[in-house]
Amino acid sequence: MTSSAVEAPRNTAGKQFMKYLTTTDHKVIGNMYFVTSFIFFGIGGLLALAIRAELANPGMQFMNFETFNQFFTMHGTIMLLMFATPMFSGFANAILPLQLGAPDVAFPRLNGFAFWIYLFGSLMACAGFASPGGAASFGWFAYAPLSNAIHSPGIGHDLWIMGLYLLGLSSILGAVNFVATIITMRAPGLTMFRMPIFSWNILVTSLMILIAFPVLSAGLLVLEADRVLGSHVLDPATGGAILWQHLFWFFGHPEVYIIALPFFGIITEVLSTFSRKPVFGYYGLVFATLAIGVLSVSVWAHHMFVTGAVNLPFFSFMTFMIAVPTGVKYFNWIGTIWRGSLTLNTSMTFAIGFLTTFLFGGLTGIILAAPALDFPVSDTYFVVAHFHYVLFGTVVFAMFAGFYYWWPKFTGRMLNETWGKVHFWTLFVGFHVTFLVQHWLGVEGMQRRIADYGAWEGFTVLNQVSTFGAFLLGISMIPFLWNVWITRKTPKVTVNDPWGWGRSLEWATSCPPPRHNFTSLPRVRSNSPALDLARPELANDVNEVDPGELLDREMVEVEGAAK
Amino acid sequence: MKPEKYVFWLVFAFFLVVTPIYYLMSREIAGTFVLGFAGLLGGMIAGYLTLTARTFDPRPEDRPDAEVIEAAGDVGFFAPKSMWPFWCALTLSVIFLGPALHQAWITFVGIGLGIWACSGWVLEFYRGDYKH
Repeated sequence: MTSSAVEAPRNTAGKQFMKYLTTTDHKVIGNMYFVTSFIFFGIGGLLALAIRAELANPGMQFMNFETFNQFFTMHGTIMLLMFATPMFSGFANAILPLQLGAPDVAFPRLNGFAFWIYLFGSLMACAGFASPGGAASFGWFAYAPLSNAIHSPGIGHDLWIMGLYLLGLSSILGAVNFVATIITMRAPGLTMFRMPIFSWNILVTSLMILIAFPVLSAGLLVLEADRVLGSHVLDPATGGAILWQHLFWFFGHPEVYIIALPFFGIITEVLSTFSRKPVFGYYGLVFATLAIGVLSVSVWAHHMFVTGAVNLPFFSFMTFMIAVPTGVKYFNWIGTIWRGSLTLNTSMTFAIGFLTTFLFGGLTGIILAAPALDFPVSDTYFVVAHFHYVLFGTVVFAMFAGFYYWWPKFTGRMLNETWGKVHFWTLFVGFHVTFLVQHWLGVEGMQRRIADYGAWEGFTVLNQVSTFGAFLLGISMIPFLWNVWITRKTPKVTVNDPWGWGRSLEWATSCPPPRHNFTSLPRVRSNSPALDLARPELANDVNEVDPGELLDREMVEVEGAAK
Repeated sequence: MKPEKYVFWLVFAFFLVVTPIYYLMSREIAGTFVLGFAGLLGGMIAGYLTLTARTFDPRPEDRPDAEVIEAAGDVGFFAPKSMWPFWCALTLSVIFLGPALHQAWITFVGIGLGIWACSGWVLEFYRGDYKH
């Protein structure tokens, strides 16, 4: 073995490979989540572009109906379960232990396990494209009896079901890990009510995963038993069709909030840092998050209004209720930037882009919560526009806000601001051009999931606008990837906090942090331990009272000093 | 441990109220059960945290005036690296590939591999009963 020292430099690729294969480091696993889910984001995006290209003109352009069904099914599945949910795991892995002052997550090997079953589950679900009958084509919510063995034959569907089971297991194990980490591994003095809002949101998200995903897993196993073993649990003759919808949406609605809440957390951190102010109404935000967490579990059947088999008053009322804590969040976000000292860099711009976009989606959500308004537009492009505003608004805008914000923490380097701005504006314009017009398409009566429409129906122009926007949106990823490429060898960040106003503990360690995160932990005496450490002179400022007054006071002091 | 357990008691209390309301309004079984079990999940974790918290004094992370030194000592055992999560995930995927391809034998192969992979995971850092 004496030659190993000589051979070592030649083995770097293999060593690199083994490092990723065997790692238990939460930061490395976080990066693996980022890369993998971003690749799936790209695949889902390409499927979306194919769908939009098909819909650009009346008549079938280059797909057949079955291919179209497969594409929108896999687009939905990939975007929700292989991109957005793992992206939550990625951010939680990469940031949560840092914010808690912990050396790692509570169960490092379980963490690696969750990543690998996410990867294998995703590959299994996508492997359907290589099967004789093609990938799953029953829509991402796999309604029974369409999803049974008679109406949807072919192993592509079975691969989808089993792949999703593995994805669900991955999310559950990840959630267990995050809850245990938050409860047991915080730094001394970091009480629950001193945790950053991002960590709180991870806790509530994990809690919702623990409630919702097992129901999906149970439903999927029952569905597969019906398909393979010949059981009749989801047989429409015995109410199985509605049972599946209940089981699926009991998972499906919390899932929307599972992929929204962590990204709300990112936005909160970004707004606070770049407004140079602590989070406004911290307790309000925590309780709003908890309220969203529990309420979102009791609104599932608003996806089932048109079945006529659910209790409309209960679900309509609960759905309206959930707008209240969401409104509280908006109030607090605006309160956080109100009279703050804003830095409009790329990260902050994405956060404000999120505020705008998600607000639209939230408002159309209120419309859809009222059965009387939901019935005419249910299963139309209005709904498609609504959930793209909600999900793209939160996940993608907040993801990029988080990337530009925490990039130095992930890689030790800063992203380029100019390309970041190019990226933001192409993405923002592309997104709104794509989806704003879909509201009107829906109101005019264009159903979702149709592969074709007639030239006489008057949908052509708006569809072409939408398709143009979709391709602009696709192109907007190029400035980002270019940005990542050109900044790969820029000088390393040498300070703990390149932004200067980071508050939570991740800004009290180096960029990127060492193997077990902290060479020394700061003393935690407030919600802003890193800021207390970096700017002790600010520690006694009472900026909770009214930041505006504080600003005035400083101005008066500055003017007084000038005199 | 107070806020931690109250988070989960909140889940329990919320569903304790909502489940009967839902049942009385809709008379629907599936939703009633999932809501009720969601509440039980919250209650189970909350009960565990409440009972566990009785056995120790507030930890440094529960006290606002704690010093960093108070948490000195071993945090716990953290595997420096491990190949076994990968193998376990691979065998689990093989197990579920069986139903997906309608081939039971694949699942049996997966279970066989799974015994090996689980043993590897469990015994990776095992050095006999008294060597730790």
